[in-house]
Amino acid sequence: MEALRAGPRAVGEIARGMPVSRPAVSQHLKVLKEAGLVTDRAEGTRRVYYLDPKGLAALRAWLDRFWDQALVAFQEEAEKTPDKDKRK
Amino acid sequence: MNKAFVIAPVRKSLVVKASQAHAFDVFTSRLDSWWPKGHGIGATPVKQSFIEPRKGGRWYTTHEDGSETVVGHMRVWEPPQRIVFSWEVSADWKPDPSVASEVEIRFIAEGAGTTRVELEHRNFEALGQAGGEKMRGSVDGGWPGLLEIFRKQAEA
Repeated sequence: MEALRAGPRAVGEIARGMPVSRPAVSQHLKVLKEAGLVTDRAEGTRRVYYLDPKGLAALRAWLDRFWDQALVAFQEEAEKTPDKDKRK
Repeated sequence: MNKAFVIAPVRKSLVVKASQAHAFDVFTSRLDSWWPKGHGIGATPVKQSFIEPRKGGRWYTTHEDGSETVVGHMRVWEPPQRIVFSWEVSADWKPDPSVASEVEIRFIAEGAGTTRVELEHRNFEALGQAGGEKMRGSVDGGWPGLLEIFRKQAEA
């Protein structure tokens, strides 16, 4: 992400400054894109990545995970505690 | 950005092996028994979490330093089927009564001892409008709080 702070860049440009392989950079960008932290667009024949200025997508992704964790904890508690209304 | 920006609600659905009444009771009255301690929004670690069981009631946390933090207020209180509450947490994960997204939890009886719990967290746009200036500012700086937390998770 740091590499994108100065502006949109293609995968090859990002990888050039990194001690990791280009596929590893692509993979990382994919994760960041799914999380809404970065986005991409076609620029001629190449695809450039840039920080998602809205950022709300990142918040949404974070909350998505947040509620998953909370609901798992809720489910465990609801299923292990005595349930007087449960009918066999 | 040249496109209208709409953020889809976060939706969750799970089936709990518990009666509707029990599921509702655990979620609300016994919030403290399961709500992850690490999910607090106050300045210091969370001691306990509570929902006040009525329309207008608060979802709040008490903290180790004796302070209280309001997370939101119950807008709809329909035991044992449904609650809707405001989520008064800003984009940088701070309590902020001036911003309010909304969370609805539905408890749907699916049979004896089985309940489907559906969650929808929506109205993120309201959060973006109210906190717009602040958020634009923090985007430039890299979203100090939330993004840092998220980055650590994403890269772990």
